[in-house]
Amino acid sequence: MSAPQSNTQNQSPYSSANEAVRAELSVIDASIRSAALFFVISAITWLMIGTVFALLTAFKSHDPDFAGAYEFLTFGRVRSAHLNAMALGWGNNIIFAVGLWIMARLCRAPINHKGILLIAGVFWNIGLTVGIVGILMGDLTSVEWLEIPHYATPLLAISYALIGVWGVMAFRFRKGDHVYVSQWYILAALFWFPWLYVVAQIMIIWFPARGVVQSVTNWWFAHNVLGLWLTPMALATAYYLIPKVLGRPIYSYYLSVLGFWALAIFYNWAGVHHLIGGPVPVWLISAGIVASIMMVIPVIVVGINHHMSVVGLHKEVWRSPTLRFIVFGAISYTLVSIIGSTMALRTVNEVTHFTHFTVGHAHHGVYAFFTMIMFGGVYYMMPRLLKREWPSATLIKLHFWACALGITIMVVALQVGGWIQGLEMNNAEIPFIDTVQNTIPWLKARSVSGLFLTVGHIAFAINFFWMLFAAGAVRAKQGPTLLDDSKEGGAA
Amino acid sequence: MDAESYTDLIPLIFLGVVFFTVAISALYWSAKKGQLKNFDSQAKTIFTEEEPEGEVSDSFPSKKKHHKEA
Repeated sequence: MSAPQSNTQNQSPYSSANEAVRAELSVIDASIRSAALFFVISAITWLMIGTVFALLTAFKSHDPDFAGAYEFLTFGRVRSAHLNAMALGWGNNIIFAVGLWIMARLCRAPINHKGILLIAGVFWNIGLTVGIVGILMGDLTSVEWLEIPHYATPLLAISYALIGVWGVMAFRFRKGDHVYVSQWYILAALFWFPWLYVVAQIMIIWFPARGVVQSVTNWWFAHNVLGLWLTPMALATAYYLIPKVLGRPIYSYYLSVLGFWALAIFYNWAGVHHLIGGPVPVWLISAGIVASIMMVIPVIVVGINHHMSVVGLHKEVWRSPTLRFIVFGAISYTLVSIIGSTMALRTVNEVTHFTHFTVGHAHHGVYAFFTMIMFGGVYYMMPRLLKREWPSATLIKLHFWACALGITIMVVALQVGGWIQGLEMNNAEIPFIDTVQNTIPWLKARSVSGLFLTVGHIAFAINFFWMLFAAGAVRAKQGPTLLDDSKEGGAA
Repeated sequence: MDAESYTDLIPLIFLGVVFFTVAISALYWSAKKGQLKNFDSQAKTIFTEEEPEGEVSDSFPSKKKHHKEA
């Protein structure tokens, strides 16, 4: 399994006292293979299901009668089903695949207790299936981001906790001396998220606090799903794969650590900016706004670091499927975060609040940033897990262009349309119904963007399952790694 | 069951304090263990014999085949 030892070992800059006990990456990949595959297959399945709900939701928003004859396909239900299928089905499964794989590699030890991961994965997907069916049947709660009915959430909470336990154990038995910045992000996210989820469940669903406390808890949770779960996992992937693919260390490791701790300190406070103008103590909102603006620090730090890491190597970025997606995601991170900080200002929020601008912003973050980076992670991970090539370069390019164009159209349409909608809603001379009707062209543009994304997702799914099942048809890898064949010392 | 008063949430507040303590301890631990020193060498820990520094390790499948034929 392991690669032949090359004669350069003694001069290796990576050697240390621990060298003898560290595992080869290919051995680690093999140890996490079945768990990671399970999670990727689940993630892609949920991605496709979520895409169907997304299209239904998008069409219904400008054509309310579309598929309106069935109770379970009414707007409120398919919208929530879309959100949960994407955030918890696609998002979490792909995090469990890519994030945990990176964690295992950085710990430099083959993983133990694969059973924990598989049990957590089965619980997770059963709980989520029950939850989504519950949402479609009308059992959804009225709390955004926590719509899953109460009978499904304990399964999800147990699953989160198991994954967290696995992460701590993987870290405890690591063989490397140094904790790389991606490990910080992943460990922190594994530590934060079960906490966020359990507290939100307790204070909103199980023993609900009343009044403003409930809404503050709601937005503390909802914003932190993005900030303390999806964001750190995506940044961990970018911090691992950008230098990894390019073969060049990150531009400034110092800045990356600074960025991590700044995010850890500021992000948790920011969520209440969703309640600007609401009946919430002003000091609380102000603290949230300050934290939202302070997020500019980690964002700029990460942006500079990622930019300087790829500078001069743009051709290599373009030639790598992984980096095409990841760099798109990293650029989106800078943009979406700066826009997000701006939206937290009271004067800007007066316009954007209650409009499609916010919807555009959410997709900018979760799709253009998080999802694109995770696509990149899958493109790097799968050949190493399966020791096979991706069968079709054309499908990868189709995937990239459909998704990149689609999400760009969506964000521009919703944010331009949303801004106009906000200005009109603030103008007392314009009747409310006009402000609604004026959004329809922008919502149609959003539906078109949804079709682009659907094409991209189908291309991705075809390529993935082709790779997975058509084993004989695809050229098997010769060695344990996927180095560029044109260079000497490539695949052994 | 509703939480009628903030005192019902004291266990949760206590857990929050524990949570915060863990976070501060992590920062303290990382400083003590030298995680915040020698940044340049630490950035290289992701490279190994199999995927070494200085080599691009990802490209489109067709590109690879092309290189092989060449």
